[in-house]
Amino acid sequence: MIEITLGILFLPLLSAAIILLFLRDKADLAAKVSVGAAGGVLLASLWLIFAGHEESFTWNTRWFSLGGWELRFGFLIDGPARLLLFIVSFVGFLIHVFSLGYMADDSARPRYFGGLSIFMFSMLGITLADNLIMIFVFWELVGFSSYLLIAHYFETEEASQASRKAFIVNRVGDFGFLIGIVLTYWNFGTVNLNELADLADFSPDLASTVLCLALACGFVGKSAQFPLHVWLPDAMAGPTPVSALIHAATMVAAGIYLLVRIDFLFTEQALAAIALLGAAMGLYAGFCALVQRDVKKILAYSTLSQLGYMAAAFGLGAPGLALFHLTTHAFFKALMFLGSGSVIHACHHEQDVFNYGGLRKRMPVTAYTFLVGVLAISGINFTSGYFSKDAILLWAYNFNPPVFLLLYSGAILTSLYMFRLYFLTFEGEPRSRQASEARENSSFMTFPLVVLGILSLFGGYHSFFPERLASCLSPDLISASVLPHHLWMIVLGTSAWVVGLSLARMLYGQSSPKDSLELRFPGFFEICRTKLFFDEIYEFYVKRIQDPLARFLEVMELLFISGLMVRGSAGLAALVSMLFKTLYLGKIHLYALWFVLGALGFLAYAAGMFGR
Amino acid sequence: MNAITPTHFLILSFLLVGIGLMGLLVRRNLLYTLMSLEIMLNGINVALLAFSRVGNSLDGGILVFFIMTVAASEVAVGLALLVALYKGRKSVMSDDACLLRN
Amino acid sequence: MMSFDTFLLLGAIVTPFFGWILFLCGFPRDDRKIKFVGYLIFGFPCLAAFLLFLRFDLLQEGYCFEVLYDRMGLQKLGITFHLGLNGISSPLFAMAGLIGFCAGITAIHSNPERLRLYLSMLSLMLAGLMGLFASVDLFFYYLFHEFALIPTFLMIGIWGGRNRSGIALELTIYLTLGALVSLGGLIALNVFLDAPKFDFPSLSEAIGQTPLNGSAAWKIFGLLMFGFGILVALFPFHTWAARGYDAAPAPVSMLHAGVLKKFGLYGLVQIAVPLLPEAAVHWSPWLMWLALGNVLFVGMVAVAQTNFKSMISYGSIMHMGYCFLGIGACSALGAASAVMLMCAHGLSVALMFLLAEFVYRRTDTLEMNEIGGLGGKSPLLACFCIAAVLATIGLPGFGNFWGEFGIFLSLGEQIEHRFFLGLSALGIVLSAIFGLRAVSRLFFGSPSESLRKREKKCPVYDLKGKELFPAALILGSLILIGICPSLVSDRIDRAVSDRYSSNSPSGSTSKPSCCPSDGDSDR
Repeated sequence: MIEITLGILFLPLLSAAIILLFLRDKADLAAKVSVGAAGGVLLASLWLIFAGHEESFTWNTRWFSLGGWELRFGFLIDGPARLLLFIVSFVGFLIHVFSLGYMADDSARPRYFGGLSIFMFSMLGITLADNLIMIFVFWELVGFSSYLLIAHYFETEEASQASRKAFIVNRVGDFGFLIGIVLTYWNFGTVNLNELADLADFSPDLASTVLCLALACGFVGKSAQFPLHVWLPDAMAGPTPVSALIHAATMVAAGIYLLVRIDFLFTEQALAAIALLGAAMGLYAGFCALVQRDVKKILAYSTLSQLGYMAAAFGLGAPGLALFHLTTHAFFKALMFLGSGSVIHACHHEQDVFNYGGLRKRMPVTAYTFLVGVLAISGINFTSGYFSKDAILLWAYNFNPPVFLLLYSGAILTSLYMFRLYFLTFEGEPRSRQASEARENSSFMTFPLVVLGILSLFGGYHSFFPERLASCLSPDLISASVLPHHLWMIVLGTSAWVVGLSLARMLYGQSSPKDSLELRFPGFFEICRTKLFFDEIYEFYVKRIQDPLARFLEVMELLFISGLMVRGSAGLAALVSMLFKTLYLGKIHLYALWFVLGALGFLAYAAGMFGR
Repeated sequence: MNAITPTHFLILSFLLVGIGLMGLLVRRNLLYTLMSLEIMLNGINVALLAFSRVGNSLDGGILVFFIMTVAASEVAVGLALLVALYKGRKSVMSDDACLLRN
Repeated sequence: MMSFDTFLLLGAIVTPFFGWILFLCGFPRDDRKIKFVGYLIFGFPCLAAFLLFLRFDLLQEGYCFEVLYDRMGLQKLGITFHLGLNGISSPLFAMAGLIGFCAGITAIHSNPERLRLYLSMLSLMLAGLMGLFASVDLFFYYLFHEFALIPTFLMIGIWGGRNRSGIALELTIYLTLGALVSLGGLIALNVFLDAPKFDFPSLSEAIGQTPLNGSAAWKIFGLLMFGFGILVALFPFHTWAARGYDAAPAPVSMLHAGVLKKFGLYGLVQIAVPLLPEAAVHWSPWLMWLALGNVLFVGMVAVAQTNFKSMISYGSIMHMGYCFLGIGACSALGAASAVMLMCAHGLSVALMFLLAEFVYRRTDTLEMNEIGGLGGKSPLLACFCIAAVLATIGLPGFGNFWGEFGIFLSLGEQIEHRFFLGLSALGIVLSAIFGLRAVSRLFFGSPSESLRKREKKCPVYDLKGKELFPAALILGSLILIGICPSLVSDRIDRAVSDRYSSNSPSGSTSKPSCCPSDGDSDR
């Protein structure tokens, strides 16, 4: 049991170490090692989930202690952990396989696969960890691996900027998370999740809103929520499988997972804040996605919006629904990212959707699996997204109407921009040479698409989930199923995607090199394009406030510390020395005179001529 | 009344030291400077001997011998320096020996 | 008969002294032999320090491997030649040996003018450093520090970069001032306590019998704090460090920033705070505010730097602020974490200076705007550099993280320190900003114009064996500490619990532990 868990955690690290140390010039072998490790992790995880302990299981050991603070290294494998373990190992393995095809002609494969292995290690660490400090350790490590993988094409200015931005913005979130952990430690006297749960149960007033909001900063950074969402769209500069794995299916979802793991700490006010934040994100990101031209950016904004749904579900007190949506989202979003990767690969790294078109005939597998993803995310009835998203909508409808309104408008937008993407990419006529020459990719790339397509289609039937995976979902799902207004919700949900689909059909049904939304509603389009100026504001902050402040302080240091204090004291000494130097004229008689005067002075003093 | 008291010796000693001091301060010629020093030292010797006599102890007399020895060696070193200076600068005036200034 | 441990301990100090004299006398004559002898002289302390680190007995009370010669003519003044390692000094001693070795290799292969003189100065510095951490007696502790300090001035003055003589002068004045002030504090301590011997155990015993009155303790701690503070570049007294490291040749920067600068912190953790706990609590707000200046002010200045080496210098000054914050918390956790960070920071900053030297060898400049796209030309160097930057900005997996995290944790203990926690934690963002900016300017993007020109003259090559070895050695130990912090923390813990258990100021604050029963008492 423990050995298997340790194996799951350290197998990817071992693979990363082997690749880094020995396989730097052996790309094929490196890829095999990494994929092998991912496969091993998948098998071991399945064993752990289905053949391991049925109950939740925890184990820890002393890692080290420092000045009275003991850090323990341990695992807590309960319902949410099992679910996320399954998602991470399963989706991770598929994306490793996909990478074999996608990265086949990249010269830096060892670096890429090494990075993927480090990522798997750190993500599994977050999944399994049993205390907040361990989570924080792996939290930082996923940030690092994400940095490394975004910077894969480091020769381009775009990747260089994006990787830095991702790391620093995440650090801002981690700043709050760190303070939250410190406060938790001193308030509760422990950071172990089980013990925290017991303590919080016993005396709820130990947790404060400040504390949970500080902890939630970690979520805001990692899951790219308002106002730290700016890094995720830029992070698309990395290779597409990385975007699928890290920036869609797993790492960004880790924020939600963190919230679910510490949900017992949250106060009413904190929950309400998170719900509102998430719902606003759901709508805001939808508007942004509507006007993007880059296929990956559309998907990135849609990820932001879906993460907003999960946050809203959590904030409304239904962590099970958040996890359920996390699961289905992992399937269909990974599917769509991989699908877009397949398209990008076939079109020689062309990413502008207006340069695609008609790809359904040339790349049928990709097109139909992608369509499944679009259907799922839009919430077409009886696909996976329908179950998870409409459950959240229903919950919001019953408990918090304003949040529902935001989410519902977001749902309409979702189907609109997703079908826009689908129509522009796969329907109509090819609009560029690359698109007209595209060919279906190798089975390394289509196999994961098909598997994920099946899961996206049927992954919503939670009653068919194995008990061990669904155990953390069922309480909330059952309470959702008995909520009133069920039928009304089906009507509303269906109308949402119907409206989105017909709008998309109307606007983008005909193949056109121009964006018809831009032609018909230029004002609206422009507003969406500004994305509410977040990037500009941050840019302004960095360029106009942070950097000038840094330079100003540098000048201050030069002026006051180096100048006034250091040079000043040296100058004072020089001044005094100048004064005394005037006594030294180099004439021996003068010196003798000083001597005599001095001696006379002493005599006078000895004779008591100065009083006393 | 006509007896010579220690006061007379002390006046003599004061005069000698005063003359030496004035010579030291006023004359620029290093030869004179050395001679002034000698006069001052001998002035002190006079005072020492007078006190030695008054106090009926030999300490002062012994000190005088030391001073004379030191004075002799001082003159020897001083003159040697003077000669060296003269060789270098063709002058024995103190104002010309100002290498250390600036 | 000398035991093996004594042999190692004395050998680690005497070998470099011997090397100093040997090189100074102009031996050996030809270059090949110089390199060989250099390896021996810089290698032995490293090996000895490593062995002593392993042989350190965690169960023994007080000091391990004690060496005591009390008949050297100064015993009437209470000065004895007393060596030994405890849990705080043992990791630092090992770190000094390791960095000394790496600096030595770099020096041997950097082909400076007058190689023998260069190596002799460096080995004197190393001798001082090894002696410093091994001294129990405070006189020798100070004396060895001066041994290490003097070659620093000379080496910056002779082999330094731009404007070296002015900088060497500034450094000299600043550091002698700091050393003088702290010496005043140490002597005052000895005089006021009237201990029979001038070492920590006797002082501690003396203060136990006749406690100092408040104002004397207060003044002595002030002297020690500012004296040691100047030596560690505490906030308004930090300008020497930035300019000094900028101008110093790489091995000197490595040894000074990595090891010698820890002298002051070591003095505070090992001597000042344990002996004068009440005075430490009294001064702690001062220390905290100034340390905050280190973290935020100097951190911002580091953001403004365009020169890679200046950035490293300012970054290292900034991280010293964390150590001060840990010490200022006046708790066992704060002190232990500060020591942890001292070890890790020493390694990481030495690695940074080493890598800056390697970058310079390839580009002939350290202006970050003139370099770019180096990652494609020498991927291994980029790899090491990214690792080093991430280590300094406190990524888990490297030792620095545990030190910083422990310090943040210690700041959360008392309500009045939480203000400092909030502000100083901003430093993790600041250091990420300047660190990653440097990485992306140096290594990412396409090769710059000047790099292309430079490459036409002679090709930019990747790290080779002689360069790879020291870098890998330091990086390996950093990662080792990061993954197995207990290697270091167990040693630190033992010494710190000796020193801080009884005099923790927070007697009223309940100490949390991981068992829920203790947590219950919080309610």
